[in-house]
Amino acid sequence: MNLLPLVLYAAAVVVYAIHFAKRQPSVGRTATTLLLLGVLAHTFVIGMQTMEVRHVPFSNTSTAVSSFVWMLALSYLYLEVTTDERAMGVFIVPILVGLQTIPAFNPGVDYRDPVLDSPWFWVHVTSLLFAYATFALAAMLGLTYVLQFKEIKKKHLGYFYTRLPSLHVLDAMNSRAVVVGWLFLTIGVVVGVVWAAQALALTPNNSNLRAMSLQDPKIFIAILTWAVYSFAMFARKTLGWTGRRAAWLSAVGFVIVLLNFLPVSYFVTTSHTFQ
Amino acid sequence: MTLILLGVSHRTAPVELRERLDFSSRDLGGAVQALALRPSAAETVVLSTCNRSEIYVVSSDAARAREEVTGFLSEYHSLPESVFTPHLFSHDNEAAVRHLFRVAAGLDSIVVGEPQILGQVKDAFQAAAEQHRTGPMLSKLFHWSFLVGKRVRTETGLGEGAVSVSFAAVALARKIFGQLNGRRVLVVGAGEISTLTAQHLRANGVGEILVTSRTPAHAEALASSVEGRSVPWDDLAQGVAVADIVVTATGSQRPIITRAQIEAVTGRHRRDPLFIIDIAVPRDVEASVGDIEQVFLYNVDDLQTIVQENLSRRSSEVERAEAIVAEEVAKFGVWHRSRGAVPTIVALRERFDRIRRSELNRLDGKLTGLTPEAKARVDEVTRLIVEKLLLEPTEQLKGLPDEETQVAYTEAINRLFRLRESDSLSPVDDGAAEVTPADRRRK
Repeated sequence: MNLLPLVLYAAAVVVYAIHFAKRQPSVGRTATTLLLLGVLAHTFVIGMQTMEVRHVPFSNTSTAVSSFVWMLALSYLYLEVTTDERAMGVFIVPILVGLQTIPAFNPGVDYRDPVLDSPWFWVHVTSLLFAYATFALAAMLGLTYVLQFKEIKKKHLGYFYTRLPSLHVLDAMNSRAVVVGWLFLTIGVVVGVVWAAQALALTPNNSNLRAMSLQDPKIFIAILTWAVYSFAMFARKTLGWTGRRAAWLSAVGFVIVLLNFLPVSYFVTTSHTFQ
Repeated sequence: MTLILLGVSHRTAPVELRERLDFSSRDLGGAVQALALRPSAAETVVLSTCNRSEIYVVSSDAARAREEVTGFLSEYHSLPESVFTPHLFSHDNEAAVRHLFRVAAGLDSIVVGEPQILGQVKDAFQAAAEQHRTGPMLSKLFHWSFLVGKRVRTETGLGEGAVSVSFAAVALARKIFGQLNGRRVLVVGAGEISTLTAQHLRANGVGEILVTSRTPAHAEALASSVEGRSVPWDDLAQGVAVADIVVTATGSQRPIITRAQIEAVTGRHRRDPLFIIDIAVPRDVEASVGDIEQVFLYNVDDLQTIVQENLSRRSSEVERAEAIVAEEVAKFGVWHRSRGAVPTIVALRERFDRIRRSELNRLDGKLTGLTPEAKARVDEVTRLIVEKLLLEPTEQLKGLPDEETQVAYTEAINRLFRLRESDSLSPVDDGAAEVTPADRRRK
């Protein structure tokens, strides 16, 4: 069932790429429509799963990835509608396709440990997924900034120069995305800590909860992510790290996020694998 | 009726002559009015830019109209005809249509695709319309040309990319800063290109413009022309420190802006980008300034390269633009021929209706027994028969594919129905608007 959104996202990638190359407004509108249809189909899928298991499905990695993709798609659509700027689509939508392959081909049953039955858990996961989606946007804004910066600096005005928004706009949007992402990351982490402490008091023998500590790779890397983005904000404000430096920092941050999200969740962590 | 175009352009006449034949735009109305005193032209538009002076007239007597326009040019500009006639070009009908469409599209401009020409074509039409010198033909033609200009601009890249150094500089600034509102500009040294660049920046809404020059009077003059502020030459380094965009064009033999200078005032990490446009030769800015992280340094050669690239990109779009023009010329031709067929169609209808009415009159005595309603019905039925008979021929005449076929068809119809001898309402004397078959044959 996760296949339909994947197909629509993939179709949107193709049309966004054509729009990027040809710059025809009608093609751009088609791309947006496809993406919107993808989001609607995805909403339907997540809604059906919710009714099936009677909670929003993001307790295992596969369903969490699906929710993340959905949020990233929504965030990007919001960005596109508010800025009327479609050039970023060709950079963002491929991430949707890449990640959506995981739930599409490995759906996984969202069985949920009763210990997770708390509104705090919901806030924890939603905040973090939204933070990650925002960091993905920031990273892609940074990437396009660097691509265009290089062209202008080296005086080879070429492919990207004619297609991307100005450096100033890319930098400002990157900055805003990092701030919003950082805010939700902070909320997610704090809520997680509070909820874990509460839950541990109620079910002291839960092995997952007992593993919640800084030594757990997933938690450690989440804190590292928080440190990287905190530094990015601090450096921008006080050290004047704008432009390329800020772009690289947000790219590094997102690579860490992805590492934490996929390989670490699948293979290493002990605290966050509720079965 | 013939559409005639007479004029000089950068392709046919040197600039000295173009200047002498120029109708400055405030005078366009007057020129149109003066031309109206000559009787042969039914409609007139005068198009005048620094690269061309062109006169479009619609006349039933092409040869005479041409003579009158030449005479008018000579009289109006007090120039003997022999001075400019060798440089005069002339197009009739379809060739004139094609010329105007190419002009409006920017294909005939010195800088292909330049945007001003479309506005100038609109102004020319406006001026003539205000003097009531545009009729059905030129109105349609010029409005059509506006659409062609717009189509070429939206469907091709003919107008894309800056093609002058100063525009290229402004385009770059916009790519770096986005909106230029509130950005501070420093102009160092007042030269032609730096003045132009400052003016373009002003037009793009920059904030404060600071001007400095070794000769304070020059700085003052430029500052006042761009609503800027002149600052003492000694404050140069300070100016660079506060500026977002620096334009330099001094005659200095040695660099006046160095890397050490910039790093001394802004530190190693610049927070905001600095865009330096160095137009001076030899250069005013040390090359290593361009290595500072947030500094974008462009010299005049870099900008020239961009301009050249844009020009070659534009010329690669010419073919597509020409195809659009050709398509529109063909469409206009179809419209024009459909108009050309109108007199014949009108005459044909008159003739048929006359026959219908005379037959009804002849039968009047036999119809006396009928009620008024029944009589009206008879009248209606006969009218409908005539309408139906003429429907198909009318459509066919309007949609003829080319001029020659049309002349042949209208001629045949004229003869078959003896339209011209029998009809008092002959289309020939309707000289104001329509093209008659006779005119067409003459061409």
